[in-house]
Amino acid sequence: MLARSCLRSTRILNSARNGATSFAKRNASTSSSGAESPARLNMAAAASTAVAIGSVAWYYHLYGPTAQAMTPAEEGLHPTSYPWVHEQWFKTFDHQALRRGFQVYQEVCAACHSLSRVPYRSLVGTVLTVDEAKELAEQNEYDTEPNDEGEIEKRPGKLSDYIPAPYKNDEAARAANNGALPPDLSLIVKGRHGGCNYIFSLLTGYPEEPPAGAQVQAGLNFNPYFPGTGIAMARVLYDGLVEYEDETPASTSQMAKDVTEFLNWAAEPEMDDRKKMGMKVLAVTAVLTALSIWVKRYKWAPIKSRKTVYDPPKASKTTRP
Amino acid sequence: MGIWETFTDMVDAATPWSTAEAEAPAQEESKNEKADESKEEESSDDAEEEEEEDDEEEIVDPKETLEEECKNSKQCAPAKHHFDECVERVTKQEEDGGAKEDCVEEFFHLAHCATQCAAPKLWATLK
Repeated sequence: MLARSCLRSTRILNSARNGATSFAKRNASTSSSGAESPARLNMAAAASTAVAIGSVAWYYHLYGPTAQAMTPAEEGLHPTSYPWVHEQWFKTFDHQALRRGFQVYQEVCAACHSLSRVPYRSLVGTVLTVDEAKELAEQNEYDTEPNDEGEIEKRPGKLSDYIPAPYKNDEAARAANNGALPPDLSLIVKGRHGGCNYIFSLLTGYPEEPPAGAQVQAGLNFNPYFPGTGIAMARVLYDGLVEYEDETPASTSQMAKDVTEFLNWAAEPEMDDRKKMGMKVLAVTAVLTALSIWVKRYKWAPIKSRKTVYDPPKASKTTRP
Repeated sequence: MGIWETFTDMVDAATPWSTAEAEAPAQEESKNEKADESKEEESSDDAEEEEEEDDEEEIVDPKETLEEECKNSKQCAPAKHHFDECVERVTKQEEDGGAKEDCVEEFFHLAHCATQCAAPKLWATLK
């Protein structure tokens, strides 16, 4: 059986070879180049196959064995969504919370983080009263316009001034913080994936000690919500750190919630107005839609309700003449 | 602001004897009075203040207690089981010399479960 199959295979091989030769002959009849011998063709095929297999093997040797996948630690823990009141359709910012959050920002965050896009005037009416905001502005000094001698003097702040940054520039901020730059917080809620939930989770999510086996670099702290889990900012909010003026118990999560809501206000101070305008737009467009539907039906009523009837003449029994 | 205030504000704005102040009116007199009162009250308040200080030390973060409850609840039992097992395994590896893995992923699953379970309860307790 085996011998017969071997014979058959040689026969097929022979026929293939004959085919190849016949092809070569035919080719020779049309072109002037010398006919390739079947042995050389086979060698070329074998060589190209070897190169192909070799390159695949080399590629696998180079990139194959280790899987270059993203680990959950690199991605960071996705923050849980909390039921923020101000994210509901019919709710505004809780301005008591904003006031408390601003206090937390001033007493805790402002030591390292700037809030460069928020002027004192925007705090008026939402977080502070006019007098409080003026008093706060006057505590800082700002450059004046050049005077007659071209000297730039200092003046106390006004409502139109912006909240001063804790450091002169980014380099100074890095130098003071072990090489890590504390980001500006004006737009941080919009600028981070997860928004409020991320900020709140990050502030409250520092575990007492990192989980077993986790590598934490020197100078970094373990925080599951920060992509890469190593964050330069240490835990800053501890129970009772701030004394609220409205005597809310200042637990860590309460402070984190307030300051997150404040930062959300800083990022989009127009939210309350926008929601109000949105409701007006919805109300007006609802009325207009209803009106336009009624007008359409009114105008179309005769066309829709008309009836075209063909009334054939009655067939009379008596045939016409 | 109710509808009644809207009308009273309009009437106030229209009447000639009304005054509008951009800033809060000065309240120096009342402040002095308050200061006097507070001085008088200080002696009696001392005892109360001490009690208040004691209260402040006892602030417990509701997030931690709620999440601890959630971690031990039935809902997070599988995640906690995996995490505990991983911690045990890795600490053993560390004792034998060099851990080959970490428990970050297990920690993530447990933390995710606990925070999700605690989120609505936490918001109910916070102001």
